[in-house]
Amino acid sequence: MNHGELLKMGEYNHLSIEGCSPDIIRCLYRFMLRLRRCQEALIKEYYPADEMRCPVHFCIGQEASPAALSLLLSQSDYLLSHHRCHGYYLAKGGSMNALFAEIYGRATGANGGIAGSQDISVHDLNFFSGAILSGSVAIAVGVALGFQTKALRSVAVTAFGDGATDQGIFWEAINYAVLRRLPLVFVCENNRYSTYAPLSKRQGKENISERVQSFGMNVKTVFGNDVALLYSVFSNAIEEAREGRGPCFIEAFTYRWNAHVGPGEDDYLGYRSVAEREFWKKNCPIALLEKQMVGQNLMDSKIKEKMIVEIDQEIATAFQFAKESPFPHLKEWSQLNYNIDTPQADRLLETIDSSFFDQNQKEAMPGPY
Amino acid sequence: MTQQTYSKAINQALYQAMELSSNVLVLGQLVDYQSGVFGTTTGLVDKFGTQRVCDFPVAESLMTSTGIGLAMSGMRPVLVHQRVDFMMYSLDAIVNWLSLMRFKSNGKLSLPVTIRAIVGKGWGQGPQHSKSMHAWFAHLPGLRVAVPATAYDIKGLLLESIFGENPTIIIEHRSLFSMTSEVPDIPYRVRFGEAVVRRKGKDVTIVAIGFMVPQALRAAEKLALEGIDAEVLDLRTISPLDEEAICNSVAKTGKLVVMDPAWKSIGMAAEVIALVSEKMGSNFKTKPARICYPNSHTPASSALEVEYYPNETSIANVIRSVVYA
Ligand SMILES: Cc1ncc(C[n+]2csc(CCOP(=O)(O)OP(=O)(O)O)c2C)c(N)n1
Repeated sequence: MNHGELLKMGEYNHLSIEGCSPDIIRCLYRFMLRLRRCQEALIKEYYPADEMRCPVHFCIGQEASPAALSLLLSQSDYLLSHHRCHGYYLAKGGSMNALFAEIYGRATGANGGIAGSQDISVHDLNFFSGAILSGSVAIAVGVALGFQTKALRSVAVTAFGDGATDQGIFWEAINYAVLRRLPLVFVCENNRYSTYAPLSKRQGKENISERVQSFGMNVKTVFGNDVALLYSVFSNAIEEAREGRGPCFIEAFTYRWNAHVGPGEDDYLGYRSVAEREFWKKNCPIALLEKQMVGQNLMDSKIKEKMIVEIDQEIATAFQFAKESPFPHLKEWSQLNYNIDTPQADRLLETIDSSFFDQNQKEAMPGPY
Repeated sequence: MTQQTYSKAINQALYQAMELSSNVLVLGQLVDYQSGVFGTTTGLVDKFGTQRVCDFPVAESLMTSTGIGLAMSGMRPVLVHQRVDFMMYSLDAIVNWLSLMRFKSNGKLSLPVTIRAIVGKGWGQGPQHSKSMHAWFAHLPGLRVAVPATAYDIKGLLLESIFGENPTIIIEHRSLFSMTSEVPDIPYRVRFGEAVVRRKGKDVTIVAIGFMVPQALRAAEKLALEGIDAEVLDLRTISPLDEEAICNSVAKTGKLVVMDPAWKSIGMAAEVIALVSEKMGSNFKTKPARICYPNSHTPASSALEVEYYPNETSIANVIRSVVYA
């Protein structure tokens, strides 16, 4: 599968909700709709309010992957995301209030306003993100190694874009996850572009999954706007990892509708074709699911209306919360950067003083190494 | 207390830390072989197994990120680099993730990652096996940096770092590995930010870092025969820096020489002099001086190595010039 081939498909009509319970389908739908409306609301409010003063990477069009993960991870599982993280943050149970407040730079934000949109990291949720590409992919390896060492049944999931696979450390991570059979699931949302540059301009061959597979990794490539399919593929991968049967790499083909960064459009730059944009809008992850739900009487205009009212209420509350929250005030730079407590050392280590040192000793002379 | 070598003290610290807590892991290239990174990890694998004494691929960048992830999942990893130079591949992990996790989590998450990195010298180590870089690391907020000179200090600082809560880089000079000092058998701590006066004196303050400590003491011993009474302050850790100890000593002597085993420009020696200037203004009786390496990469040829590293004569000359200026 690659982006060029997908465009030839026209309309995607393989989405099937047969394998999922109506409850799960409704949750997937609601999550995507909530994420979409929340992003749209932030975009609408960005310039008029002029109070969101940090780079924000919106994820309209890419709601399916976080939606599927939102139903599959428990609190003790870790989710490590890249910069386009709002969906994943919500998937791990992050509150919309704290998300908005973080973007507004307020003390009540998910990170007290210190991280901003692209670095949200909440230890209580075991959710982490960061802007440096592929950084959190590599860190996820360590989280999974920790689980394995402690023989825990927790799983680490890391979500990132195709851009991360340009980095050398990405391939180090793939190799090591296979070598150690780590409980780790890689989710690559291939939206074709790293900022404006298409994959074909950055990599010799458009076959990320194939190359990952050659490392001995279990690999799946999927149409990433089919949320039911993602749910089932993620569910299997997470289960396998949990049972100690090793890592999996999933490449989900999808598309970002909005600009790479910020609330506007960047299509005036001409880096994406009109046909391509139309293909992906036609295959909107929410619309594809909705069509199936309507067909099976799981959705009608009344249910949808009710959902929208609830979601919009939550969004309005989040704006109000963010705008009314205080800005953080500085306590002390040092304490923000260093932990001065040493509870473990206090408990385990003795204090003995000795400063005598005889300086008249020979230096160690290294041999050939 | 037992008389022990620097490398044995490291080995003992690691062994005891792993015994004290199953959260402690050692990761590094070849850590599970009998040679054990110059003896510092020898025997650990026999007791703790390969899951906790983990030979890592030659992928330093990933190794550091792995350490971060381990700490995020509740572990206390110790990463080992045979040379500081090899660790340079992991700068992104150190600069963009490790040093700032506490900050960006708004003080909620600290990462107790300990990174041991060894500096080579002699036998033609050359430009890619001999760097120290400690000032780079000390420049970063959120990291602690230790440069222990004695077997006693390395054991205590290593344990303090493993069971402390901040990410720490410990720079170990290979030349010190065979030197001994009295080392308590039990697990003990040496606190960060506490320099130690190795020799009391009243004529000049010599602030020394790591591998320069024995050289400073030898110089002081030699100069004592000429009637110069030098005080030698071993910083032990450069982040945090024991500002009080430095200023107290200079307040007494009014003369300052800083010995730093690194390039002269933009380094720790400059930092110490700047600190004293800022805090104490014109209290200097004479111009302070730095004893460092030239602003050049390290040559392999022994003929040039001799020129490159300060020696007893050149060190004594600089100290004399500060005392008698
Ligand atoms: C190491 C690094 N280099 C460059 C950047 C600048 N940058 C931010 S986002 C981005 C594109 C990322 O593309 P991708 O990984 O596919 O994710 P997407 O933005 O498409 O969701 C780039 C190059 C960065 N954040 N980190």
